[in-house]
Amino acid sequence: MIPSLTVLAAAGLIALSLSATASQVAAQAGNAAAGKAVYERKCAGCHGDKGDGKGPAAELLSPKPRDFTAGLYKVRTTANKVPTDQDIFRIITDGMPGTSMPSWAVLPEKDRWNLVAYIKAFAAEKFKEGPKKLELPKDVASSSASIKRGKEMFEAIECHKCHGTEGRADGPSRAELKDEWGNPVPPANLTKPWTFRGGAGRTEIATRLANGILGTPMPAFLDSVEKPEDIWHLTNFIRSLGPESPPRYATLVTVTAVSDAIPDDPNADYWKKVAPGTIPLMGQVIVDPRNFNPAIDLVSIRAVYNDKEIAFHLTWDDATQSADEPAKKLYADAISLQFPPQSAAGLERPYFLMGDGSDPVYLLRWENGRGVSEATANGPTKIAPLAGAEATGKAVYTNGEYRVVIKRPLGSKDAASPAFRPTVFMPVAFQAWDGGAGETGTKMSLTSWYYLRLEEPQSNRRFVIPPVVAILALAVMLLVVRVANR
Amino acid sequence: MRKVIGAFLAIALVAGVAAVAHRPGPAGAQGGGTIEAAVTYAGAQVVEKLKVNKDTEKCGTEAVIEKVVVGPNKGLANAVVSVPGAKGAPKGMKATVDQHGCKFVPHVTAMTPGELELKNSDDILHNIHTYSTANPSINKAQPKFKKVMMEKFEKPEIIKLTCDVHSWMLGWVAVMPNPFFGVTDANGAAKIDSVPPGKYTVEAWHETLGKQTKEVEVKAGQTTKVAIEMKK
Repeated sequence: MIPSLTVLAAAGLIALSLSATASQVAAQAGNAAAGKAVYERKCAGCHGDKGDGKGPAAELLSPKPRDFTAGLYKVRTTANKVPTDQDIFRIITDGMPGTSMPSWAVLPEKDRWNLVAYIKAFAAEKFKEGPKKLELPKDVASSSASIKRGKEMFEAIECHKCHGTEGRADGPSRAELKDEWGNPVPPANLTKPWTFRGGAGRTEIATRLANGILGTPMPAFLDSVEKPEDIWHLTNFIRSLGPESPPRYATLVTVTAVSDAIPDDPNADYWKKVAPGTIPLMGQVIVDPRNFNPAIDLVSIRAVYNDKEIAFHLTWDDATQSADEPAKKLYADAISLQFPPQSAAGLERPYFLMGDGSDPVYLLRWENGRGVSEATANGPTKIAPLAGAEATGKAVYTNGEYRVVIKRPLGSKDAASPAFRPTVFMPVAFQAWDGGAGETGTKMSLTSWYYLRLEEPQSNRRFVIPPVVAILALAVMLLVVRVANR
Repeated sequence: MRKVIGAFLAIALVAGVAAVAHRPGPAGAQGGGTIEAAVTYAGAQVVEKLKVNKDTEKCGTEAVIEKVVVGPNKGLANAVVSVPGAKGAPKGMKATVDQHGCKFVPHVTAMTPGELELKNSDDILHNIHTYSTANPSINKAQPKFKKVMMEKFEKPEIIKLTCDVHSWMLGWVAVMPNPFFGVTDANGAAKIDSVPPGKYTVEAWHETLGKQTKEVEVKAGQTTKVAIEMKK
């Protein structure tokens, strides 16, 4: 009996330790000398041997790696400027979403505590004062009333100046924002909580609001709201701007069959009824000039077709609407859908980066100021417009978001352009440019090949045949019963 | 008994006189002298202009960043003139910076260690973002409904004030160790009263042009003129 109790207790302990997350782990005294060895292997590449944030990779990164010699930490749970050891440990363990800082949970826990000790040693004098715990106002659970009050406060304290009216980081002060080292630093896109540097939990958001983000323009609001609990109303409102959980990325784009006319207007209610697929995009880093810090990280696509045409409805965030003004280093915002010109089962797909010399791709492209065009590409710098293009489209830009409808006939006129046929799996890839962020040419966001499939055409037969079969079966049964009873 | 009281009174009297004699400021004016500083700069005015893309009803359509303001007779405005070597306890003076028209008014504020009143008369969001080393730097939002904020600056140093919402906004707060300082006006003039007599180094500091010093001798009841030329 006693041994089994011990086993039970041990199992319980293991379960407890497994369930503890990084933020709950009790602080351990790290060994700075042991941390140095880990730091030099894992951290110095970005943060530099001296901890000044000037490692060899730093120039390619945005936001820039932290300069530990300044002793300024973005994410902290304290009322003063000194983070707790757990704060630093949590960032090492979880990483910083939306930046180049990955999660280092792969390192043994002891190594991570040793790193905390070593990192602190770069600005030892800043840690002479101990951390003071931040007391947040009493939690207010989310409700429609709380969200409403949060929205009022969001407007009253003018969060939109940086974060934009709908939270897409497109506020008028965006271009002016710099961190304390003079590097441009964009405001957070509040509709993408999974990119929040310090985490998307309610307590984490409330803490950022209350004590600000050190070294950045984000100020502390704890004493600058009308009532202390407004911090929570704001938190609840901000949380309501984005989805509950990070988006699930699509692997297949399904094109819905419709029988009615497809609207051109990207804001038409029609599009709300079509389920979107979310496609992640990455920076183009294969050919020069490369794009290490792409501005556009995802595109939502809705697609439908009828007996004549196929239509794509694309939605993505772009904080700066821009047309071609090369003198100001501004370029046209653009997006393109890429297809192989011919698609047959077993056919090798062209090179995903806009094809190559022998295997071209077909591009269906929209550009701000120029509208929709069709082109053939033999690589990212060899793009030729197609003669007799038939594609059309319409775009709207509101509060940091583009919505574009691109339409094209189903059939193809020549070999350079694909025909869209139901039930065929067709390769598709995406490219996007935020011209306001200086993206043009090969400086783009892109995807590898995905698949697109036009679902089987709908017909009224599916509503007619089953009832007819049922009635016939019933009639036969009645007939059998009648014959048997006779 | 009488002797004891007498001795006590004598000690109290001496202590009192000593206290009065050491007190700087207007109370001790009979013993102090005045410094009239004229700060000049031979170079050109440096004023940057920026098109404003928001809050134009409060900020105007053009922001003016006054890096070097030169008045008549080469007088340099916005320079802090101080007498670092003079002994005197800081007196409780109220210092105020107003955020008005998307500018810090005054552009340069000098104060003794203590509280600074930060006003927002613009009815829009500003944020007070300070750059300092001796004092903890702050970055606090001051929304339109928060008309006044008090912030403590305990240690002498020159602190830069910025606003991230309106990046052109720039101000300076000079926290001085003693009450003997002045900020030059549009003509480049600053007056420092009640300086205890003695030989001093007078210092002039300007945000863009740095520091210059000059030796002076202050005599009781007299005005000492000092001309300081700032150089790049």
